[in-house]
Amino acid sequence: MNYLIPLMVVIPITCALFLNLLHERTRTVKAISIIVALALPTVPLIANYGVQYFGGYPPLAQNPTIAVGLPTLITGTALNIFHPAITYVFGSAQKLMIVILGFIALFAIYISLYEVKKASGVYAYLMLMGTASIIAMLLSDDIFNLYVFFEIAALAQVGIVLVSKVDYNYETALKYMILGSIASPLLLIGIALLLGVTGNVNITDIVYSIQHGLVNPQSPVLLMACSLIIFGWLYGTGLPPFHTIKSAMYSKALPTGAALLQAFSVFSFVAIGIIILRIFSYLPFAHIFIIGISLVAMTLGITMAITQTDFKRLIAYLAVGELGYIGIGLGLGTALGITAGLFQAVNEAVITAFLFIGFGTIMYKTKETDMRKLGGMLVETPKSALLVLLAGLAMAGVPPFNAFQSKLMLVQASLNSGLPEIAIIMVLLSIVTFMTFMRAFHTIYLRPKPADLEIKNEKIPNITLVAMVAFLVVCLVFGLFPQIATNFLQGMAMSIA
Amino acid sequence: MNIYDIILKKIKDVRMETGDDEPVSNMAASSMLTAEITIISTLLIAVVMLRLLNKTLMIGSVVLIFVLAIVAMPIMPRLKREQNDSLASMSFYVIIGLGIIVTLFYWGNLNG
Repeated sequence: MNYLIPLMVVIPITCALFLNLLHERTRTVKAISIIVALALPTVPLIANYGVQYFGGYPPLAQNPTIAVGLPTLITGTALNIFHPAITYVFGSAQKLMIVILGFIALFAIYISLYEVKKASGVYAYLMLMGTASIIAMLLSDDIFNLYVFFEIAALAQVGIVLVSKVDYNYETALKYMILGSIASPLLLIGIALLLGVTGNVNITDIVYSIQHGLVNPQSPVLLMACSLIIFGWLYGTGLPPFHTIKSAMYSKALPTGAALLQAFSVFSFVAIGIIILRIFSYLPFAHIFIIGISLVAMTLGITMAITQTDFKRLIAYLAVGELGYIGIGLGLGTALGITAGLFQAVNEAVITAFLFIGFGTIMYKTKETDMRKLGGMLVETPKSALLVLLAGLAMAGVPPFNAFQSKLMLVQASLNSGLPEIAIIMVLLSIVTFMTFMRAFHTIYLRPKPADLEIKNEKIPNITLVAMVAFLVVCLVFGLFPQIATNFLQGMAMSIA
Repeated sequence: MNIYDIILKKIKDVRMETGDDEPVSNMAASSMLTAEITIISTLLIAVVMLRLLNKTLMIGSVVLIFVLAIVAMPIMPRLKREQNDSLASMSFYVIIGLGIIVTLFYWGNLNG
C-alpha cells in the first residue's frame, strides 16, 4: 500500500474543513494554510507510483488467497479481473500534473494570505477543497467517484467567485450554478447509462468490457452515454457553449482565485478528456468531435479576447482559447498528439496562472480592470511589467518558453496526421494571441497614464513577485528542456493512442 | 463605403443597442477588424478539411462560405452581441449545444 496516494486528497480536504471552522483565528488559519499549501506539490513529488485500492480489495486475479474456494462462475470469468473497490492510479503523468497543480495552488494560497491584512479561512477552505477535488479527478479510475469530485470542484469554484469582492460576482456565480444544474445531472445520467450497459463504474473494467465484446459497442444507450458525458465535459472545462460563463467566472474572481480556477478547468479537461478517449475512442466520430469543438473554442476564445476592454476578461477568453490547443492534441489521438496536448495542458496552466497573477498587480495598485481607464503602469510597476511581458510571450508560443515547444509538437502532430489545415489555424491563432496580448500590454503599461487614474502608493507584496519568478522559471525550464515534461507524459499518451 | 467604415458603423450600432455610448476608438475598430479577418480565414481553412470526405464538396463549401462571409460581413460584432452574459442567451446556446451533441453522437453513429 502506498498511503501517500490517498493522502494527496485527504490532507487538503481535512485541513480545508479545519480552516473553515477556525476562520476567525487569523494566525492559525495562516499557519495551517502555509503548511498544507506546501504539502500540495511536495506529497506527489515524493510519492511512489502505484495503485490504491480503497478498502484494500484488489481484483481477485491479484489476490489468490481470497479467490481460493470461489466458484468458477467468478474466478473463470471477467469478474476475476474486475475492480471491486474505488481505485486511484498514480502514474508519471498524474505525478507531473498534480505537482504543477499543487505548485499553482501553493502560490495562489500564499499570495491570498499575504495580500490581505486578515487571512480568510473560508477562501483558503474553498481553494483547498477545489484543489483536492481536481487531484482526485486526476487520480480516480472510477467514473462515479470522479463525478462526485467534479461536483465538489464546481461548488468550490462557485464559492471562490462568491467570496471574491468583485462587482457582479454573485450574479455570475449564480448563473454558473444554474447552467451547472443543466449540465451536471446530464453527466450523471451519462454515467448511469454507462453503468447500466456495462454493469461497472471502474473505467479500466468498462474499457475491458467494450474491447472484449462483453457489451455491444454500438448500443444506442452507450452512444447516448457518450454524448451526455461529453456535454458534462464541456461544462466542466468551459468549452463552447459554456465559454462565455466560464470566462465570466474567471473575470469575477480575485487574481489568485482566477489563477486557480483556470488550473481547475485545464486539469478537469485532461482528466475527463482522457476518460472519454479511453472509453469511446473506438467511435471515429469522438475524435472528429473533439477536434471540431477544440477548433471552435480556439477561434471563439481568441477572437472574443481581442475585442475585450476588461483585461481580466481578455485573459479569461485567451485561457478558453488555449484549451482548444489541448483538445486538438487529444483529438488527433496519436501518441505524439496526446503527449503534445498533455504538455500544452501543463504549460497553459502555468502560463495563465502567471498572467492572472501578473495582471493582478495592476488590480492591486489601481483597483481597476478596464483597460480604457489604465495607462502608464510601466513606471509604477517595472519589475512586474517585465514579468507580465515574458508571460505574454510564453502564452503566444514565443521561444524559448514552454508553450513554444508544446505548440510546435502540436503542429508536428497535426502534420503527421495529414491535417496541415489544423497546423495553419494553430499558427494563425497564436499570432492573434500575440497581438491580443501586446494590445493589452501597450494599453496598460506603455501609453501615457490617464489623468484621473488613482494609483495606490503601496508596494506589491514580495510573494507575488516570487510567484511570478517561479512561474517564469518553470516556463523556461520546460521550454529549454521539454523532455523533462514529455518523459512524464509519454507513457499515458502511448497507453491511450 | 469601405470595409473599415462598415465595421465602424456596425460597432456603433451594437454599442447603441447595448447602451454603451462611449466613442469608438481606433483600437476597438482595429481589434474588431482583426477578429473579423481571423474568424473568416479560420473558417475557410477549416472547411478545406472537407477534402478528406469529398473534394467537390470541399470546393463547393469553400466558395459558398466565402460568398456568405462577404455578404454577411461584418460577422464579429454580431457574434459579440450574441455571446453576452445574459442567462437567457447562455441557456439558449447550452440547449442548442446539447441538442447538436446528442443528435451527432446518437443518430450519427447509429446511421454512420
